[in-house]
Amino acid sequence: MRVSAELPLGVASLFGAAARERRRLETDLVTLLEARGFEEVILPILDYVDPYEAILGPGARSELYRFTGREGETLALRSDFTPMLARLLAPRVPVLELPARFFYRGDVVRYREPRVGARREMYQLGTEIVAPPGESSEREALEAFVELLDRVPGPRPRIVLGLAGALDELLGRAEDPARLLEAIGRRERAAARNLSSALLEVVEGGVPSDPSALGSTMAAQLGDLQTTLAELSGRYTGIDWELDLAEFAATGSRFVDDSAGARSYYDGVVFRAYLGREATPVGGGGRYDRLFERLGANVSAVGFSLGLDGLLAASQGGDR
Amino acid sequence: MRDLMQSSDTQRGSRLRLALPKGRNLKPTVKALRAAGIALEGLDLDGRALRQEFPKEGLEVLLLKNWDLPVYVEHGVADLGIVGSDVLAEVDGDLLIPLRLRDGRCRLSLIGRPGSFPQPGMQVRLATKYLAAARKYLAGAAFSAEVFPLGGSVELAPFLDLADLAIDIVQTGATLAAHGLVELETIEEVAPCVVVNRAGFQAHRRRINEWMDGLERAEVAS
Repeated sequence: MRVSAELPLGVASLFGAAARERRRLETDLVTLLEARGFEEVILPILDYVDPYEAILGPGARSELYRFTGREGETLALRSDFTPMLARLLAPRVPVLELPARFFYRGDVVRYREPRVGARREMYQLGTEIVAPPGESSEREALEAFVELLDRVPGPRPRIVLGLAGALDELLGRAEDPARLLEAIGRRERAAARNLSSALLEVVEGGVPSDPSALGSTMAAQLGDLQTTLAELSGRYTGIDWELDLAEFAATGSRFVDDSAGARSYYDGVVFRAYLGREATPVGGGGRYDRLFERLGANVSAVGFSLGLDGLLAASQGGDR
Repeated sequence: MRDLMQSSDTQRGSRLRLALPKGRNLKPTVKALRAAGIALEGLDLDGRALRQEFPKEGLEVLLLKNWDLPVYVEHGVADLGIVGSDVLAEVDGDLLIPLRLRDGRCRLSLIGRPGSFPQPGMQVRLATKYLAAARKYLAGAAFSAEVFPLGGSVELAPFLDLADLAIDIVQTGATLAAHGLVELETIEEVAPCVVVNRAGFQAHRRRINEWMDGLERAEVAS
């Protein structure tokens, strides 16, 4: 009998050198995280849909693989580590010694339209830092993120930073802010220009020349982020650093409908990394205190994840 | 902070890769680029070369099929390109769309024989290569349709009675008139769009912004 070796769309098997290479990278990165005081958590691949779905991030509902279990319960395959870990950690916060540092590794499964390079099963390695309320761990998370990326051979990484909900004040006067957010995310000049010159500056250059246009709270956060960025870019010179509020236009915005779980759980500094000329991001993360707040725990939380297969592919591809 | 953001242009020092669309958008695109000061001197539009280099301008031009172009740009093979909004609506990609060209605009329309617009509740056969646009249009229509895909010369389908209707691009309407067909309803306006790869934008921000400024100044895009 001939058996087909074909696999479903969006998944892959690794043999020989490819498998060894991924394990080697994983071991290398895990060693680094352990040296930085991160402790491993092992999370299940299956969860009930109800509590999980309610706290998923942007667009995640439509990407979720769900099915009916043998006992009639509705189950989902893990599509995002952060909400699952937050749900399990929130009730344990009173007995946790803060700050607590965790890392995880494993597959996430998300539906993706069939297209070039679209993976439906992705192997991730990530971290979460849970700290007392008000304590900022963004810099520590960013340093760990950079050091992990630095272990990956190949082209120079590019890290783009932003702030969740940064443009909300600027969009307050717009007739349809949700639609405008999409346009800003695509850097449509006409849409930005119609509202304000500050928004056009964001679309073109990433930040407004006068940060007060963002409102006093956001302007202060932007100032802090600029200071952090200046320090990190002086210290990690092998990275191309960018500050770009348009890149994360819709992330954490109050104008994105939260009722359908469409709103991102990020509510502070956000970042994303790219390698080489490929547009596919190899990892990212940010601050998400609000997610824990929704789960009844008052803490400060920041985390990131890296897609190991994407990371390896991008590092091998190099610059064309 | 702006210095930080713009430093990468010079750090990379790499050439910009521009994807131009073969077909109806090619001439308006080249005309618009030239009006904006991007000379592309010696560009061969009629030859077989799919890749042409312009070292003086630090530029490499790829000539790609309209429907393939967004994929090449999204995956960073080209940093930017020009493609019709009709194609963009079909190819669900993560692309930046800073400007739309003024020249080369047309319409995506429902076409058929005069007086053939379906009565409410009717079921018709509809030919198109714009399957996503057809689904969206039919979701709000009072009639239903069996949609089947055709690759080209879609207007032939209602002309030769293979289908009752078609959804296709209409520029002047001359082809329709020559076949005894009419535009029954305009579905949407279509424009050639400048599309930019996200990573390409970050890497060549200054240069791409200068190009966009040039296109706007020349009043060939908005």
